[in-house]
Amino acid sequence: MPSNKDLDRRGLLKVTGASVAALGLTAAGCGGDGGSGGTDADGPATLRFAWWGGEPRAVKIKKAIALFEKKNPKIKIKPEFTDYQAFWEKFQTQASGGNPPDVFLNSVAFLAKYDKRGVLLDLKSQIDAGNLRLKNFRGGVEAAGQVAGGKQVAVPVGANTMALVIDKKAFAKAGVAPKFGWTWDDYFTSLQTIQDKLKISGDTGYAGIMYLYDLYLRQNGKAFFTDTELGFTEDDLTQWWSDYYKRVKSGLVTDPKKIEQVKPKSGLSAGLAAGEFTWDNFSVRYEGEGDSDYGLAPIPTTDGKDTGQYLGSLMLSISTKCKAQAQAAKFIDFMVHDPEVGKILGYDMGVLATQDQFDAYKPEGETDKAVAEANKGIGAYETEVDKAGVLGKITPHPSGADVVEAAFLRIAGDVANAKQKVPAAVKQFFSEAEAAFQG
Amino acid sequence: MSLVKDATGAPSLAGESSVRPAAHKRRGRRENLSGYLFLSPWLAGFLLLTAGPMIASLYYAFTNYNLFAPPQWIGFDNFTAMFEDPRWQKSVQVTLKYVVIGTPLKLLLALGVALLLNQSRRGQGLYRAAFYAPSLIGASVSVGFVWRAIFSDNAVVDKGLGAIGLNLGGWIGDPDLIIYSLVALTVWQFGAPMVIFLAGLKQVPRELYEAAAVDGAGPLRRFWNITLPMISPVLFFNVLLESIHSFQIFGSAYVVSNTFCGPADATLVYTCYLYQKGFQQSQMGFASAMAWMLLLAVALVTAVLFWSQKKWVHYEEGAK
Repeated sequence: MPSNKDLDRRGLLKVTGASVAALGLTAAGCGGDGGSGGTDADGPATLRFAWWGGEPRAVKIKKAIALFEKKNPKIKIKPEFTDYQAFWEKFQTQASGGNPPDVFLNSVAFLAKYDKRGVLLDLKSQIDAGNLRLKNFRGGVEAAGQVAGGKQVAVPVGANTMALVIDKKAFAKAGVAPKFGWTWDDYFTSLQTIQDKLKISGDTGYAGIMYLYDLYLRQNGKAFFTDTELGFTEDDLTQWWSDYYKRVKSGLVTDPKKIEQVKPKSGLSAGLAAGEFTWDNFSVRYEGEGDSDYGLAPIPTTDGKDTGQYLGSLMLSISTKCKAQAQAAKFIDFMVHDPEVGKILGYDMGVLATQDQFDAYKPEGETDKAVAEANKGIGAYETEVDKAGVLGKITPHPSGADVVEAAFLRIAGDVANAKQKVPAAVKQFFSEAEAAFQG
Repeated sequence: MSLVKDATGAPSLAGESSVRPAAHKRRGRRENLSGYLFLSPWLAGFLLLTAGPMIASLYYAFTNYNLFAPPQWIGFDNFTAMFEDPRWQKSVQVTLKYVVIGTPLKLLLALGVALLLNQSRRGQGLYRAAFYAPSLIGASVSVGFVWRAIFSDNAVVDKGLGAIGLNLGGWIGDPDLIIYSLVALTVWQFGAPMVIFLAGLKQVPRELYEAAAVDGAGPLRRFWNITLPMISPVLFFNVLLESIHSFQIFGSAYVVSNTFCGPADATLVYTCYLYQKGFQQSQMGFASAMAWMLLLAVALVTAVLFWSQKKWVHYEEGAK
């Protein structure tokens, strides 16, 4: 009996030992494996590359990765992807634990935050070493990858600008035609015409969109952000939200209750309004979601000329923990400059940022006709905006911009739902913003 | 603890007479050791994944901590900030509304159905399983989506209420109504407390009813004077469990509101705000403080319930 028991115990010890060893192994399984230390851009390395987005994006990116690995057999790319919100939650956890992905998709709202936290690699050394080319970008969009002070911590992979997406059939039926240089007064008069003639609202709800208010402020010599804080006053916002509330009440803007219910579908494609402000590259979704024809229209102006627009973008960054920085830089260079990659990605992450990729991609080649049509429109829209000479430079966002953006959208919703009076809502927004900048 | 004591105590036992006890001891120690080894997966999990993080979060609750910079000690600032934060107040309101309305409704329904099922009828097992099923699937994400669908404009609930002259519109987009769709979701999952009630009802001795019937007590009176006191321990258990559970609502609010706990913070339940603070706004110190506040609140509710049970919970004399 005792011997039997001993045997059991030994067996148990073995199992325990094995599981402890396994725990140890998982702790040691991260980081680049290049003995070269990452100074040789062609040396062997394994890079973790993380992005957010759905299945179609993943398919495209994986194709681009395969192409890269074929051309650089010593470098392996391990893909990781999830949806937007989960991405940033996961990223925060990984980065705080000292284990961020080597290369990752980034956005302007997060640059200052993660630069301040020491997560983003200053790309200057890699640019100087020739591993990463920072030229040939359209409309100066490479500046979008800089934090205040001009430090380059990201490289644009796509360039987008805000647009008004309209239900073309509805606008035509109401006899309203948007044109470059139209004013906000023109815009709201058009919405009134649409409401009178078609009995539908004209706008799905504009006042919570931070990037649209930014344009309005820029038209008036301000901006949403300065380097460190908000670039407008409580009075400015009180005006913006008070007008908005009146327009929701009068039905010019769709009842937020209706918009809420159709989520995650857009209110525009659900037929709840004739138009909606969003990033131009998002307009691909409407053809698939809705029954009407959709098109891009110009942003209304204050002075009849200036739309306040700029090219914003999705970007690629390298983490400071990355052990194979040269290889990572080379990978990013490939992703943003290689014409073949441009053909693969299309406008999935925004209209291609470099001229070479932009020229290489032909929307007509898309197998999905709706996508081809939409992308043709987006490309034409950006060319047109560029030609109109209204494109300015993006204002770098301070740390906490992501939290501010979410608060702006939410509190505008409180206003639209009559759950908060405008002055109280404005006060709350300013206090939440202040807390966010400190975080 | 006993492991350590044994180890230090054993050598002091010396002499011939102690040979057998020593062997005994050794075997006891050996058994203790294997016991702990068998427990070790759970112990490791408990210490590393539960106790450790809990202690850490207690510390963070008194700090300003954004996950990146080292935590700074700020004393009770997180707690005072909490009471001044309008969104925190809102989250407390929303959660209390959910608990105070949802829990009693759920238990009433559970008790009612349990009483019906307690009468021997054919197919009783089938009914029991059918009523229990929502408790198994209710917490799933897909049910959250179904809920969004049936509580929208012109969907089942809107049409149904419209037919009886109540034109409320969809509940999902309405900040005043969406919380009731969450209440409905929890009430619908009455199966779990129902099964417990049913078990309690089966324990009530039949002769009590027979004696009461002989004395001329009607069904209502029998329920009030026999059933209710006899199942009061089970009722107590259900009230306790369901309230604690309700305070921690997260998943359904998150999914039914399409992850934003809106509209206009109408479904901003406590844990949802905690999650936003910690994982979206990187205020881990504040979030930890919120977590401990919730624990305190739940502990307080539990204490009050335990204190009150003397007045209304009837334990049978001599029950084992």
